[in-house]
Amino acid sequence: MSAPPRDAQATRLAELLSQCGLKNQRAFSELYSLTSPKLFGVALRILRRQDWAEEVLQECYMNIWNHAADYAAAKSAPLTWMTSIVRNRCLDWLRRPQQEATGDEYEIAVEAWQDENPGPVEQLMASGDAAALGHCLKELDARQRQGIMLAFFHGMSHSEVADHMKQPLGTVKTWVRRGLERLKGCLEKDGNR
Amino acid sequence: MRYRNPQLRDKLAAEYVLGTLRGRARARFEALMRYDPPLRSLVTDWEDRLAPMAGAGTDIAPPARLWNALSQRIAGEARKPRWWESLALWRGLAATGAAFALVLAIVTGAGPQAEPPMSMVAVMNDTQGQPAMTVSWPSMRAVRDPYIRIKVTQKHPTMAPGTTWELWMLPPGEGKPVSLGLITTDVDQVMKLTPEQAARIESAWGIAMSIEPSGGSPIGKPTGPVVMKGPCVKIL
Repeated sequence: MSAPPRDAQATRLAELLSQCGLKNQRAFSELYSLTSPKLFGVALRILRRQDWAEEVLQECYMNIWNHAADYAAAKSAPLTWMTSIVRNRCLDWLRRPQQEATGDEYEIAVEAWQDENPGPVEQLMASGDAAALGHCLKELDARQRQGIMLAFFHGMSHSEVADHMKQPLGTVKTWVRRGLERLKGCLEKDGNR
Repeated sequence: MRYRNPQLRDKLAAEYVLGTLRGRARARFEALMRYDPPLRSLVTDWEDRLAPMAGAGTDIAPPARLWNALSQRIAGEARKPRWWESLALWRGLAATGAAFALVLAIVTGAGPQAEPPMSMVAVMNDTQGQPAMTVSWPSMRAVRDPYIRIKVTQKHPTMAPGTTWELWMLPPGEGKPVSLGLITTDVDQVMKLTPEQAARIESAWGIAMSIEPSGGSPIGKPTGPVVMKGPCVKIL
């Protein structure tokens, strides 16, 4: 783990993106070598099939190449911007007809808030370059954290998380929702958003 | 309207970014977000919060064939001597047969017989580069009451509460956008122009649409984000 400090890398990636906006192919090549292992990992964990992950990643990099000029307006860190492009494309991919979930999520999303007592912390999250987030994830109830990680890392839907954790769907949704709320509160408290 | 509830908005934004908002709900949320900049920024906030989590995963180098395919696509793009690419419109047209079919429908006069042929069209793309609206008009000398025809072709056009869509023509050179008026999300609309607007639109190089507060921009130029625009092209 001898990666350059996060800020230096972010600055470099932002420079490369603006060069890509000017259709500089060498900058694109460097951008690809710096980011593709991270983004391929992201895609592979969500899609769980190498051929899909390759196809999606190819589309995403073309997208990044074609829209690099828009990056300046995005206001996010470059890797955040690129990660979001890949994650959204993966989730779109899973939305294809044969993959589509029940579609009931919209109604369920309007359920009332529910309280649940936070449990003990059971597991630590190892994260080198996102200390604030790592710290706040540690603060969560282990089940909340697990639910969030399964959804985020593996692209699991609520019902897949429920199957995986062998818990009722409603319970899992509550954990995830409460976990997200607490995460937001913790990050704001740390002045890290 | 449910989407006004701030807690619900934040919760949906969080679940959108986490990825647990699925299926039609996800598509609906994306459509909504396009015209609701505050909602879009809730999503950006959640992306900033959660995206670093991706850094905790193992890096996996993709196979070399992926880069080979990409570099070929990009080099191919740069090499082709496409003189017509100077018309940015054609890029949009080539990208989607739908837009092409639309222009054809306008050129060949798919509309009512009494309508004079359209002489100009602007195919407007949304911020994702997808054709979202066309604005066309006949030769202003050929009609007694000048008008433009607006077709909203976007899949789920959504107007956020308290906002409206305002159409602008972009005059040649460095001229400031000139308002054409407010439109709705209807598929097919006709807007009458004043003689002054009619005179100016014939020299406009493009048409744009921005999101404005109800009643339109209070200062005579776009105040909200420009979410669609496209160049004017003579078709007759």
